[in-house]
Amino acid sequence: MDAEARARLTPVGMALLVARIASVAAAVAVALWLYLGYTPPKRSSYPGREKVIFWHMWTSNWAEVINNICRRFNESQERYEVVPLTVCGGSLKTLIATAGGDPPDCMGQWETVIPAWAERGALTPLDELMEPGDWARLRDKMYPAVREIGTYKGHFYGLATGMNIWACYYRPSHFKEAGFDPDKFPKTLEELDAIAEKLYRYDKNNNITRIGFTPWGLSHWIALFGGTLFDYDRNELSICHPRNIDALAWMAGYSNKYGYDRVLQFQAGLPSTMEASWPFMSGAYSIVVDGQWRIQQIFEYMPNLDYRTAPIPPPAGGKENACWSNGNFMIIPSGAKNKKGALEFMSFWSGVSDPARAAEFYTWGGWLPITPDVANAPIYQEYIRKFPEFKTFVDIMSSPNVQVTPPTPVQAYLMHRLGWAEDAARREVMSPKAALETIRDEVDRELKNTRVSLKPAS
Amino acid sequence: MQKHSFYTRLAIHAVLIILAVPFTMPLIWMISTSLKTKEQIFPNEVVTSISGFLAEWRPSPVRWANYAEGLRYVPFPLYLRNTLMLCAFNVTGAVLSSALVAYAFAKLQWRGRKLIFSIVIATMILPGQVTMIPTFALYRWLGWYGTYLPMIVPAFLGNAFFIFLLRQFFMTIPDDLCDAARIDGCSEWGIFWRMMLPLAKPALATCALFQFLGTWNDFNGPLIYLNDQNKYTLAYGLQQFLGSYGSEWALLMAATTVFTIPIIILFFLAQRTFIQGIATTGSKG
Amino acid sequence: MARRQNLTGWLFASPVVIGLLVFTGYPFLASLYLSFCEYDIFNPPTWVGLNNYRILFTRDPLFWTSLKNVLYYTVFAVPMGITFGVALAMLLDAKIKGISVYRTIFFLPSIVPVVATSVLWLWLLNPRIGLVNTLLRLTGVAGPTWLGDPAWSKPSLIFMGVWGVGGSMIIYLAGLKDIPVTLYEAALVDGASTWQRIRHVTLPMITPVIFFNLVMGLIGSFQYFTQAFIMTGGGPLDSTLFYALHLFYQAFMYLKMGYASAMAWVLFVIVVAVTAVVFKTQGRWVHYGR
Repeated sequence: MDAEARARLTPVGMALLVARIASVAAAVAVALWLYLGYTPPKRSSYPGREKVIFWHMWTSNWAEVINNICRRFNESQERYEVVPLTVCGGSLKTLIATAGGDPPDCMGQWETVIPAWAERGALTPLDELMEPGDWARLRDKMYPAVREIGTYKGHFYGLATGMNIWACYYRPSHFKEAGFDPDKFPKTLEELDAIAEKLYRYDKNNNITRIGFTPWGLSHWIALFGGTLFDYDRNELSICHPRNIDALAWMAGYSNKYGYDRVLQFQAGLPSTMEASWPFMSGAYSIVVDGQWRIQQIFEYMPNLDYRTAPIPPPAGGKENACWSNGNFMIIPSGAKNKKGALEFMSFWSGVSDPARAAEFYTWGGWLPITPDVANAPIYQEYIRKFPEFKTFVDIMSSPNVQVTPPTPVQAYLMHRLGWAEDAARREVMSPKAALETIRDEVDRELKNTRVSLKPAS
Repeated sequence: MQKHSFYTRLAIHAVLIILAVPFTMPLIWMISTSLKTKEQIFPNEVVTSISGFLAEWRPSPVRWANYAEGLRYVPFPLYLRNTLMLCAFNVTGAVLSSALVAYAFAKLQWRGRKLIFSIVIATMILPGQVTMIPTFALYRWLGWYGTYLPMIVPAFLGNAFFIFLLRQFFMTIPDDLCDAARIDGCSEWGIFWRMMLPLAKPALATCALFQFLGTWNDFNGPLIYLNDQNKYTLAYGLQQFLGSYGSEWALLMAATTVFTIPIIILFFLAQRTFIQGIATTGSKG
Repeated sequence: MARRQNLTGWLFASPVVIGLLVFTGYPFLASLYLSFCEYDIFNPPTWVGLNNYRILFTRDPLFWTSLKNVLYYTVFAVPMGITFGVALAMLLDAKIKGISVYRTIFFLPSIVPVVATSVLWLWLLNPRIGLVNTLLRLTGVAGPTWLGDPAWSKPSLIFMGVWGVGGSMIIYLAGLKDIPVTLYEAALVDGASTWQRIRHVTLPMITPVIFFNLVMGLIGSFQYFTQAFIMTGGGPLDSTLFYALHLFYQAFMYLKMGYASAMAWVLFVIVVAVTAVVFKTQGRWVHYGR
């Protein structure tokens, strides 16, 4: 660059640079002023009380339901104040905060964390925290699945706030059109298979335009076929239980009959969270297996939809009123500062202390309760009268055939690989038996790798 | 550069317009979704024609209330204030500190230069997931957990990506230019401040833009370090619509539109001022 | 004089040196230490020597799957991103009306939050109602299930990656704006054609920027994570289980932070080697103005 060019550049360049720096400085000044000159709204309404820090995963209008429950709790007594905080992005923050030694007093989590965290000593055993009399009463009252899912190696770690149960939703109009009586939902899986075949619809190119029924979620079918992923007597995983293989083979049979790709082409690949466009409501399915929360969704989006619910019918030699169940759990980290307060809040919410009062919260959320006491409370019974189809799910809650995810420290890994096995068998890239054997070996290996982590060699 | 002929310009327009179609989709889709009722968002019907598909993008009926409701869930002015405060600090800090360091790597001779440069590049290569916990432990030990400091202070200590980028730009400036200035008695600071920065303005503007967008969209920082809803930023606040228990897509997209449009306008204006402005002044070689 | 130069150099570099010493160094070294430990996040780490590395290479088939997936992604996404980015930047450098509007449009995917673009793509690629398959159907082709098909899931993500090229496009553009007008003028005087000007002036002059985007592209795609995490979660049949995703699951879902650290350091060694090779080739094709 010659001297002339440099001289030409300098004033313009400098002016621009000065302008830029000035604007940045102005922005900083404004920001500083905004920051320093701003007094945030008061967060605590009860300055003198012991705080109970509560992290949960509920968002938008669900978060408001949670805030209302917290407010009720704060009004109901004078010792504690629950401070709720929505935490997005899964358990990342929780894990990091716990690792850093600063966990909340109580947390809402999916049940999968219970065995893994309990195994590593990160959870407070609730049975030891509770008064012995209270614990004994609660233990006897809880629905079997609720007790099972919260228990790991003899201790009770997670108190459910809401359970999930799956059943069949079906369209009476489709039944009538195909010549079936909608009042007589199939009692066996074989009958269901036969009816489903008649409910499928195709276009002239032989593409599916309506799905009669198609299975998903191996865990449910394992429960229905009488299989199990965990042998509670021998206290070990039983991934290759013969009935598990039967269940997966039956699922793969659907792919074989209707074509995996053809079904996938039809099934919208959209996330299931898009509740307003649940394909069942638009008539894309005649029969689907889904959870109790759909009842409220249908009420919200298509209140006039004609639909029914029924327990999933078992195959010959299978189990009735069966399904896989999971839920949202309240847990208390070992490092929590206010465990008593957290327990008090959990008991309040789940209706351990006052079922009639808690029943109202459960109707706000359309949740399934953890004890029959809550379910039998007048306000909850009224809710069931308003949504008669909801009764199917409440009834299944007390069934001994409801299964939960096995209590193994590698639960998350197991569920991830189980999804793979289901996928592999349904895509027919592997026989059901081979798929389950593959993941049995993988999970065994993972268990060995994890054992090392708990008891280091030498 | 000479002016393009009429046909060349026509051809460029044609190519750009065709290419632009898939790139305009996020914006159009976002705005269209933000005006839809819940039932319209994810249609289930198979469409058999382009016009059918276009019809799906047109909200009918239009639901303006999504905007009012979307903004009700998130305290927009408060979060905007928090976000802008972070952006101001981060942009100033990261651009200035990175430029200083880049100058040292590109134009100064000092022992340890190669080593430090390699280390700076290396810090970008290790996946961040495994440094999260030690980093958190460090900030907590410093007493910064629950404050903005973990999201501000590091910006002032150079950003590896920007350092590398600015180094590349400084490297293209001939050494003779610096040497001439040195012989004229100019200090290193003077060379850096009066010669290098003006010459590298497009690159500096690029860094400022990236840092702004990075801070504006940052999700993990606020998630991990903030425990007070009053301190949240917009990007993190928007997550309040996305839940494990169902997402409010229309409201989310309404809020996202309000969150994004100013940035698009800002980019439009900024690229005019900086990228185009430099073509008339930035001559070297 | 040399001492003075040293001092100036260290002074100018001091921000990053302080940063390395105070903030970056400790977590960096801590993760290296953890890679030799069993660390479940909740309990203090315990030293296990090379155990994690042994498991990694001998007892974790998914490690190899995820490595293959990320190599596949890198091999296609990086060259495609560079080619498309450079070409686009050159078009957007043209002096025509409305160019700033075009620039803004091509940068849109980088401005709109990932959540929104991910949902958009899930919809566009939806086998039944998505735009892509609708267009294919109009031409009489039955499209695949894209993200639902192990053979198409990675190409779909690569295509999305190229679509998000706006960031590097801006960097190329800044590089193009830096080319002295005199060089073009000289080429014109010599009677060079458009193609010759691109070949002998434009491309060589932006090699420092191409080099930058190549290195950053490599580093970035080896750590490819976000879209796969949001959109596919690793499926179908592990076809999108990329290295960083496998690592994330190990660290924060299976609570094996020590193992994840070992994974991170194996990736670190691989990428450092690749980057070092790329840096070594610098002399042959990157033109700095000296």
